[in-house]
Amino acid sequence: MTPLYILTKKEYVQMFREFKILWLPLVFMFLGATQPVVTYYLPSILAALGGNQGITIDPAIMQQDGEQVMAATLGSQFDQLGIMVIVIAIMSIIQSDKANGMLDFILTRPVKVGSYIGGKLFSNFSFVALSVTFGYFVSYVYVNFLFSNIPFFTLILALGFYLAWVLFMISFTSMISTIFNGQGVIALISIVCLLLLKIISGLHPIIDLVNPAGMSQQAMMVLITGSIDSQLYGNMVITFIWITLTVTISHYWISRKKYHKN
Amino acid sequence: MKLEIKEVTKTFKAKTAVNNFSMVVETGQCVGLIGPNGAGKSTLIKIIADILNAEKGEVLLDGKKIKTMKKEIGYLPQYPDFFHWMTATETLFFMGQLSGITKQELVKEVPAILTKVGLINEQHEKVQTFSGGMKQRLGIAQTLLHKPSFIVMDEPVSALDPIGRREVLNLIQEIKHETTILLSTHILGDAEEICERFVIMKQGKKIEDTTLDKLTNNHQAVVHLELASHNMLWVQIIEKLPYVKNVEVLGKKAKITLDNIQQNKDRLIRDAMDNNMDIVKFEVGSSETLEEIFLKMVVSV
Repeated sequence: MTPLYILTKKEYVQMFREFKILWLPLVFMFLGATQPVVTYYLPSILAALGGNQGITIDPAIMQQDGEQVMAATLGSQFDQLGIMVIVIAIMSIIQSDKANGMLDFILTRPVKVGSYIGGKLFSNFSFVALSVTFGYFVSYVYVNFLFSNIPFFTLILALGFYLAWVLFMISFTSMISTIFNGQGVIALISIVCLLLLKIISGLHPIIDLVNPAGMSQQAMMVLITGSIDSQLYGNMVITFIWITLTVTISHYWISRKKYHKN
Repeated sequence: MKLEIKEVTKTFKAKTAVNNFSMVVETGQCVGLIGPNGAGKSTLIKIIADILNAEKGEVLLDGKKIKTMKKEIGYLPQYPDFFHWMTATETLFFMGQLSGITKQELVKEVPAILTKVGLINEQHEKVQTFSGGMKQRLGIAQTLLHKPSFIVMDEPVSALDPIGRREVLNLIQEIKHETTILLSTHILGDAEEICERFVIMKQGKKIEDTTLDKLTNNHQAVVHLELASHNMLWVQIIEKLPYVKNVEVLGKKAKITLDNIQQNKDRLIRDAMDNNMDIVKFEVGSSETLEEIFLKMVVSV
């Protein structure tokens, strides 16, 4: 059994013991359901609360198709509350090992730094990806029920693009967790940076190309237009370069033993 | 295994924690690293365990870089802490597997080692509920699990109560015969009890490397005398005797330096008997205890 396998298994056991395995998928399922349900009932809610006086919304304008609602699930739910939830769920992945000395302990064993980081990223990404997928499919079920059906292939393609952005979120938060020692600081820096990336995406094509959050934009485009954007491959390659860079920095930081406080 | 520390230097910002430190630990030796708080003991031990990098110098185990020899090293930190959600058995399985021990072996080894450190009744309890002493013992179990040929321990008993201290010292006595041990401590009695060789550190530097015998033999032998009463008149009288060189009185105790102690100690005790002195203690020994020697070396004059 390789250290990578043992460390990955330990992460899964920890997720079970800390009930992360329960609450993170639930949060994403809730987020996934929110967008279609709220969009569908918004006209009736407004009608019930606002009556007929003043500004009324023409129900015809509110008529959206399934693809648009699905894209909105990614853009307005997962990319806002979702980012915060992911960061909070994984902000201490390396920080807590530094704080209680387990990182030191693990590294006195014949374990490569790469196995340590690899185990952390693989286990946490696979788990977060699964949670996001659950939420995504819950959203899909509601969209299908309340709006229109979406071609399955488009659905999967968009999810794949979105997960590349999720992988970046995780490798980025891990890097911040490696470099900084306070949980609050880690959460703040990660959330602010990731939300900032999300906000600047869609402003300019060049920015989008080098922005990992552009992958989220690509996912939404696939859903809405049903076709792949010409920038997709470039964006994907650059996103993976960013991911490699964050992992390399974490690796460097740990193997050069810069994580010690003094 | 032979451990060589070659001119190791480590600086933290402005402070030099370890300054050009060299020493060799031979196979089977037990070396006590002593020094006051802040002398750089923990830093040195962390460098040996490859947790910190030294700026200069290197640490070799059996002639090879320590980085490549991790299987051969057992490390016990000052305050061992484990994942709180794991049980004692799970912790040892986890650490054991990381050291490359197979599951089949661990199934046999883990209960045996937990019995050895006295945690067998708590084997399925979470580390969260453990006291400091229990964590220390679990730490020792973890250190021994992969049968390392070299063990480094950072203050293994300093944080324990007298009972825990005794248990851990006995454990170290037991394993001492099988491995090379380097341990740091600021409690001299512990070092005196388990180690043959001492390295005294001060402000990151090695100031003495010696054995207990050498240390005490270097110093003049004297008579330590303790009387039952406060009547020290006789003591003042003997100061005038020809074979008495010096008398230091401290309450009911006196430290008497004699000319040719082997011959004259009998004359002294006979003299005391003749004067009906109520002797509580009459001891021939080193003029200084290890503690006094240590203090003299470490406290800057």
